[in-house]
Amino acid sequence: MAALPTDSNTPLDEVACGLMRTAEDGTILRINRIFSEWVGQPPGALLQRRRFQDLLTMGGRIFHQTHWAPLLRMQGSISEVKLELARDEAPPIPIVINAIRHEKEGVAYHEIAAFVARDRDKYERELVLSRKRLEELVTEATRLQEEAKDRALFAEQMIGIVSHDLRNPLSGIAMGAALLTRGQLSEGQQRTLNRILRSADRAHALIADLLDLTQARLGGGLSVSLQSVDLHHTISEALDELSLVHQGRPLHHKTVGSGECTADRNRLVQLLGNLVSNAVAYGTPGRPVTVTSGMGSQCFIAVHNEGVAIPPEKQELIFKPMTRGAQNSAGRSVGLGLFIVREIAKAHGGEARVDSTADGGTTFTVAFPRR
Amino acid sequence: MSVRTRNNVQVSGSGLATMFFAHGFGCDQNMWRLLAPAYSTRYRTVSFDLVGSGGSDLSAWSPTKYATLQGYASDVVEIVREFGEGPAIFVGHSVSAMIGLLADLEAPGLFGAQIMIGPSPCYINDGDYVGGFTRKDIDSLLEALDSNYLGWASNMAPAIMGAPGQPALGDELTNSFCRTDPEIAKHFARVTFLSDVRSELPRLATPTLILQCDDDMIAPITVGEYLHRALAQSTLTIVNNVGHCPHLSAPSASGAAIDRFLMEQGL
Repeated sequence: MAALPTDSNTPLDEVACGLMRTAEDGTILRINRIFSEWVGQPPGALLQRRRFQDLLTMGGRIFHQTHWAPLLRMQGSISEVKLELARDEAPPIPIVINAIRHEKEGVAYHEIAAFVARDRDKYERELVLSRKRLEELVTEATRLQEEAKDRALFAEQMIGIVSHDLRNPLSGIAMGAALLTRGQLSEGQQRTLNRILRSADRAHALIADLLDLTQARLGGGLSVSLQSVDLHHTISEALDELSLVHQGRPLHHKTVGSGECTADRNRLVQLLGNLVSNAVAYGTPGRPVTVTSGMGSQCFIAVHNEGVAIPPEKQELIFKPMTRGAQNSAGRSVGLGLFIVREIAKAHGGEARVDSTADGGTTFTVAFPRR
Repeated sequence: MSVRTRNNVQVSGSGLATMFFAHGFGCDQNMWRLLAPAYSTRYRTVSFDLVGSGGSDLSAWSPTKYATLQGYASDVVEIVREFGEGPAIFVGHSVSAMIGLLADLEAPGLFGAQIMIGPSPCYINDGDYVGGFTRKDIDSLLEALDSNYLGWASNMAPAIMGAPGQPALGDELTNSFCRTDPEIAKHFARVTFLSDVRSELPRLATPTLILQCDDDMIAPITVGEYLHRALAQSTLTIVNNVGHCPHLSAPSASGAAIDRFLMEQGL
């Protein structure tokens, strides 16, 4: 086996990187064979004639002037700077360089080592490209999201405005119909007028629900005016009225403990109305609906009906606006009932929940602090 | 936020006038380490970082305020008002020379002298005007910035480049010099190299020194001559220097030219 050279003065032309020595102004003083091959010019054309920065692409030259030349001067050395060697009529060669500044007898010079970095360059370009693509996608997605938000907001505002404006003509209809009932009417006319009045009532209730929806969504929650209320008394009175509406369905009332609490009486009546009409619509026909009002650690109202259980995966969903059970045929609601129940509970600092099993039936419970 | 924190303002020296040192694109106030200390025996000296560079408060940076050089100029007016004592002498390197000019126009009478090192009112060639660059050249610079900043984590990058074999160098300097946020650097590059303040030049009445290198690719000698013609109260001094930073590579020649100019102005 031939002896390998072990001396420390390996000729520069044999090392595995580009090497160059320049004066402080960049004038090339020494260059090895590999480096001059990359540049594409013989050393004779480069030595003393060209400056290192002249070999770079324009961007690299500016970068050299604004970044790494001052840094080399201040710091004495730099590493891992990526630049491109410009070549006539050939694509530039990406290189990574390290440089050190030396001073000998008051004269400064730079030693530069360079490696070709084609793969790093390719990889970087791909990264930059995919980052750009990602940025575009994010911008687009954000734009779509903003648009959707705007549309939803507009729709909700629209609901509020239209509902509000519908109230006046509707009141006109109801008032006119009420006046007509005072005159001499045939039986058929009386029936028609009663139907008009009932329809106007239903429309009023619908509008009230829609206005509550916009207030809850856009106004940051329903408004309530809290005062001392006897819960049992309030519920029992309201149930009397409801039993007129739901004739033929037994509505039972149970009380637990004291009924003293602080609440908005009208809102409680509204909440009970929504829960009872749901129980009547979805519960087993003919079977009783039981309302329990009372006081445990909190005030609560529970409305129970027998019947098919609500599937567990739907139990949270039904409190969202515009959701409706399959059997609803009453037509009174646009699916806001339970949403409003939960909003009323929230406005009282409480919450609404449902427990539903095939054996035990379905119970909606609203609980809120007594205060 | 105080102006001091926002621009990392450093004050030293004392004298009857105040010299303000503003760095250019790419670095920070450390650039002045070879030039400024000589003046702190005769002047109050104030150096600072442009917002987005060096030790400035990055939270103060906004792409809208700094979308033009005017945003930086307003900062300069605030700095000079707060830290100046006696006549203000503004030393601006590269793009900061034009920032100083805009600050002067925004607050007439605030400045006693402008010293512009390697200034250029417009980097891109335009008809008969030779700025030295084409739009394509600037795009190529942005690409170079992209690939050198790529390896960095999102926010504050370490020193833009390492310093092998310089253990004597303090960590402090290594870590702050040329430290910058990649996105801000690219934004600043665009604002700098696409700026054009040529139409403002005739309005400057303050005595001005144009310190021009005889071999500077960023600000070629024709640009210095153009400025000299456009600025009524200007002195053009050409120093022998290759490159864009004579205050680093030829500090004594630069200092001598500045001294001469200041003496002529009686400052």
